[in-house]
Order: sequence, then C-alpha cells, then structure tokens
Amino acid sequence: MKIEILFPEFCNIYGDYGNVIYLKACLPDAEFIETSLNDEPKFITEDIDLVYMGSMTEKVQEKIIKKLMPYKEIIKQKIEDNKAFLLTGNSFEVFGNYIEEDNKNKIEGLGIIDIYSERKMFDRYNSIFVGDFEGIEIIGFRDQFALQYGNNADTYFAKAIRGDGLNKSSKLEGVKIKNFIGTSILGPILVLNPIFTKYYLRNILGIENAEIAYEQDAIEAYEKRLSEFKDPKRTF
Amino acid sequence: MKLRFWLAFYIAKFGQAFLKLLRKNATYFPGKVAIKICPEFLKYIDRPKKIIAVTGTNGKTTVCNMINDILIDNNYNVLNNRLGSNINSGIASALLQHSNFFNKTKKDLAVFEVDERSSILIYKYIKPDYLVCTNLFRDSIKRNANTDFIVDVINAELPKDTVVLANADDLISCSLGKENPKIYYGIDKLDTDVKETTNIIKDIKTCPVCDEKLKYEYARYHHIGKAYCPNCGFKSPESNFLVKHIDKKRREIIVKETKKSYKYSMLSDSIFNIYNELSAIAILRTIGLSATQINNSIKKMKIVETRLSEEEINGKKVITHLSKGQNPVAASRVFDYVQSVEGNKSVILITDDCDDAKHSSENLTWLYDADFELLNKENIKQIIIGGVRANDLYLRFLLAGIPKEKLIKIEDELETVNMLKCEEVEKIFILHDIYKFDVASKLKELLRKKLNTSEGEKE
Repeated sequence: MKIEILFPEFCNIYGDYGNVIYLKACLPDAEFIETSLNDEPKFITEDIDLVYMGSMTEKVQEKIIKKLMPYKEIIKQKIEDNKAFLLTGNSFEVFGNYIEEDNKNKIEGLGIIDIYSERKMFDRYNSIFVGDFEGIEIIGFRDQFALQYGNNADTYFAKAIRGDGLNKSSKLEGVKIKNFIGTSILGPILVLNPIFTKYYLRNILGIENAEIAYEQDAIEAYEKRLSEFKDPKRTF
Repeated sequence: MKLRFWLAFYIAKFGQAFLKLLRKNATYFPGKVAIKICPEFLKYIDRPKKIIAVTGTNGKTTVCNMINDILIDNNYNVLNNRLGSNINSGIASALLQHSNFFNKTKKDLAVFEVDERSSILIYKYIKPDYLVCTNLFRDSIKRNANTDFIVDVINAELPKDTVVLANADDLISCSLGKENPKIYYGIDKLDTDVKETTNIIKDIKTCPVCDEKLKYEYARYHHIGKAYCPNCGFKSPESNFLVKHIDKKRREIIVKETKKSYKYSMLSDSIFNIYNELSAIAILRTIGLSATQINNSIKKMKIVETRLSEEEINGKKVITHLSKGQNPVAASRVFDYVQSVEGNKSVILITDDCDDAKHSSENLTWLYDADFELLNKENIKQIIIGGVRANDLYLRFLLAGIPKEKLIKIEDELETVNMLKCEEVEKIFILHDIYKFDVASKLKELLRKKLNTSEGEKE
C-alpha cells in the first residue's frame, strides 16, 4: 500500500496531518510518500493507492492549481481508473472550474470536477456537519472562506443531516466520483469518523479485513461527538 | 457625524459612570454602545500623543502587562485596556474612561493590546506610533483562519509610518508592514537549538520570495529560528535587540544593542517567556527608558498567576500553567516546557472551550496540529484529562504513542485530582485553558488538601 501526501509543507493548516497520523497507526506496513511543491507528484508516474491533500491558505490555492494544471488530463484518467483521492477542506476547491474572489476576479481551477467556489474573505463560514454517507453518519467541522456551487446531485459525498451541503441552499456536501472524494470537512476526518474510516480502508482502498487503530476509543469519542452534533439545542 | 459622536460619547460616558457606581466591570460595554451609536467613534475620541499597540498570537497580554507595569513604575502617565477586551470596543472604553467630559484625554501614553483579527477595525482610526508583534502562528480556526489571512488583516490598515517591532526569529511577524520602519528583536543561537524542528506545524516552510524550502542556521520550535533560503539568499533579519546569553541559574539575560550590552533579570526561564520579556525591553528602550529603569522594575515583577503559578505543597511542586485551548502552538510550547522540566511529574489537563462545551461542540482540528507527542516521556508518570472532550484528548494521546496505563480520562474536571497518584512524582502540572483559571485554582486547593493529608501521602 502506497500513500502519497501532496504538498504537506502547504496543505496541512487545519489539523489535516491527523489523517496521516491515523493512517500510519491503522496501516503500519504502508509506505507514506510526502511530495513537496517543488517535486513532481509520484502518482503521475507511479502506482499510488491513495493520494491525500489537506487544507491550505487561500494564497496557496493558486500555487497548487499552477502546479497540478499540467497533470490535469492524467488526474482525470486516474480518477476514471478508480484511483483513490482524498481531499479535505478547501483543497477540493482547486479541482473545480474556478474560484471567484471578493472582487469578482475568477481564478481558473483544474476543471476536473464540475463545481465552482465563491470566496468571501470577511464572511467566514463556520459550522458543524452531520451527514449520511452510504448509511454511515459522518461528522465534521467546516470553517471556510468559500462556498461551492454546481450540480452534485449524482456525485455528492454526504447528504447533510445537520448543516449544509456545498452552500447554504444545498444539502449535498462534497463530491464523490468513483474513488475520488473531495469534502469541505476540515482536517482529521478519518480520526473523527472511525466507522467511515473502516469502510474507507476496506471498500475504497480495498484492504480486506482492515482494522482501525484504537477502534473502541475512537468510537467512544465519535459517539459522544455525534450526540452533541445531533443535539438541536447546540448551535454552530 | 460629529453630533453622533457627542451623543455616543455622553451616553457611553454616563453609562460608564453608572456601571462604576454599581461596581460593575465597565471595561467593554460602554465602548460597545459608543461604537454602536457612532461607528467612527474611535476616529473622534481623544487619545494620548503616543500610542503603542501590542499584537501577536501568543504572549500579547503578558507583554502588554509588562510594558504597562514598567511604565507605571517609572511614573509614566499611561492608559491601557488591560482590564477590558482587546477589540475595538475595549479600546474605545479605555479611551473613554480616561477622557474628561470635554473629550480631552488625561494621559500621555497609551499601551493597547490589539486582537489580530480586530486590527482592521482599530488601525483605521487609532494610528499607533509603534506596533509590537510577539509572534504569528495559526490560532483559533473559526476567527483567525490562517497566518496568510491574519497578516493581510493586520497590514490592511496599518499606517505606513508606524514603527514595527518584530520578532526577527519569526519570519511571519517580519512580513508585517513591508514598507514600514522596523526594529527587530531576537534570541541568539542556543545550545538546545537544532537544524530542523520536528513540530507538526510550521506556518512558514518555504521562502517567501522563491518558494524554495527554507533552511535554518538554527531552529528553535515550529518556524521560529534563524532561517535562510539556499536558492535566492533571502534570510531572517538581524536583531537590533539580541539576547546573547541566558543564565538560568542566576536568572539573568544579556541583551546586546548596537553599541552596548545590558543585563536584565529573567522573569521566567521558558524561551517563549524570554521572547515576551525581550519584546517589552525592546519597545521600552526604543521610547527612551534606560536599561537600569527597566531592570529595576522587572526585579519587582512576576508573571500573573492566571498564566503561571508555582507552589511547594508538602514537598511537591504544584505548577499551574496557562495552555490556551484551540491554540496548537501555545499548547505545544507548554508541553515542551513541561517535558523540559527535570524530575518525575504528572500532568492534569483541562483545556475545553467553556462556551463550546455549553452551546456547541468544540472544533477539534487543533488537536492534530499540537505536539502531544512531546509529553511521551518516561518521567511523565500520569496524564489525567478532565472535561467533556476527555475522550478526544485520550485518543490523541494514544496516537501520540503514550501508553494507556499512563492515561486517565474523566469528564468531571474536579475529579481529576482524586485520580492523581502523588507518590512517585515530584512535580504536578495543572495545564488549563484561559477560561479555566477558576477550575485550576479549585484543583490546586483540592491538591493542597490531598497533599497535606496522610491519605494523600499514602496513595
């Protein structure tokens, strides 16, 4: 099992490294490759089982788009070939058509997924999220400057039970195309969602009988959080 | 607008006097009302001739208190917002409180602690002569987002002629006020420095000019250290105030200026507190205080108990230390300090966000930015986690490699003391969030009882 972490020097601003810590604990035999922005991503030329990229600052989004643009068609093909990508926080915005800034300037995205983002630097969106992913309740934190727009009716990641989807008028969060998952949920989604993580390892990464680290402790923490997230008296 | 100002001024002024009569804290509300009535209130309220603003992710309250105390000790006529908030309403309240009924200030100098996120609302109207920045790291995810954002927010309204006093060892602080006059302070290479830090987060890893990975002449923690770019020659600036020597035994530091070096008493031996003290020395020297004046005042000071306290109870040292929740660097610095202290020790951790615990569910992303791994030491015998987030912290400690047998979790924070095995430790740390000081004090009281009874000794 080879896992590539893209651009960790930039894409690790909201606890995203928690996913790497947890994957390392769950998959002690896996090989983890950290690729910096000045290097060529390994997944372009090598057989990588999972490509992970976390949140970044808004300024960095443009650097990442510039870096990945030459590989756009290869990435599309990799998705088509069922390669697993996991993108958390605002990293999946760079795969959309464009990001519109406060001043209406449009930053061209990779155009791999059919969504776009509208960024408002002085109207930060903070929310907790509970959603349904194939019968599993996913929880997460969302703190973002941009919201997404577009039709993800057939390609959403999770259906909101509490909180919003792509934007305040949507109940469909993120994007899932084959084994490509992009979600606005920030940071350590895998640690915070042990049931999902087990499913992810077994059904998306295809590791038969995969077990997760500290399963009971992780589930206990998850269940407490889930009950809080679903408590109508609690606000965001 | 002027009419609106006067209306706001008198309503807030009378409100302030009324609250004072009721012996209520009048440090926030009057300013809030004034700005509500007159959004440009800060533009018109009279202010002292000289203004010092202090900002930064960590240490700004400590530094502000130090600057104020030293100035007051040297008979300066100074106003501050230390009892109020560090946002625009707190500053409005402080100015209001020290102005007479004709909007004339009674003070010569103001020292304001300024919340980074609120800078844009403050510097638009209040033009500081000096801006002291302690450091800039990632902070509360909801409010402060990321350091790129915070730098832009501070720079947005910062007047071009404000002199910026920045930490030379922090390249993010150094990026404030690109064209502004600058004074730098820093700490010279230490024996404990390394070539590359192993902290989970470094908020700047690449050269701001060419994006090449930064290298360090010496690295201290996170992105703090003397950096350079191997590609384009960019490097950390030289310090105008440089700590050349730290003598922990004599509790002294030597600060080198352009022509001469001066000795000062050291308030605390933790590096982040030495940076705090140094930043205060730098601004006070800059505005004309002599090293002797500053040092004489420092000798009379101690760090306020809400931040740090030490007490010897029945042969054990009990240390309470602020460990701001949702602030991964502040937590990591404290963990580093705890692990660096010699001897066997136990740690009680109470860092829940009180407000989120009641009304929401705390954002936990910071747990995976903070270096809990630092507490994975043989001489840390027990870690007791209290609060509603105990399960989450417990899992984080497990993932940091800390054995289960050292960990205890319990939701009732006051019960943590009962779980403590005091026998094999010499030191007990109570690490608490800023709003958990009361709980930390109660824990200390319970610990006092426990340690002073034979029962406690037998455990």
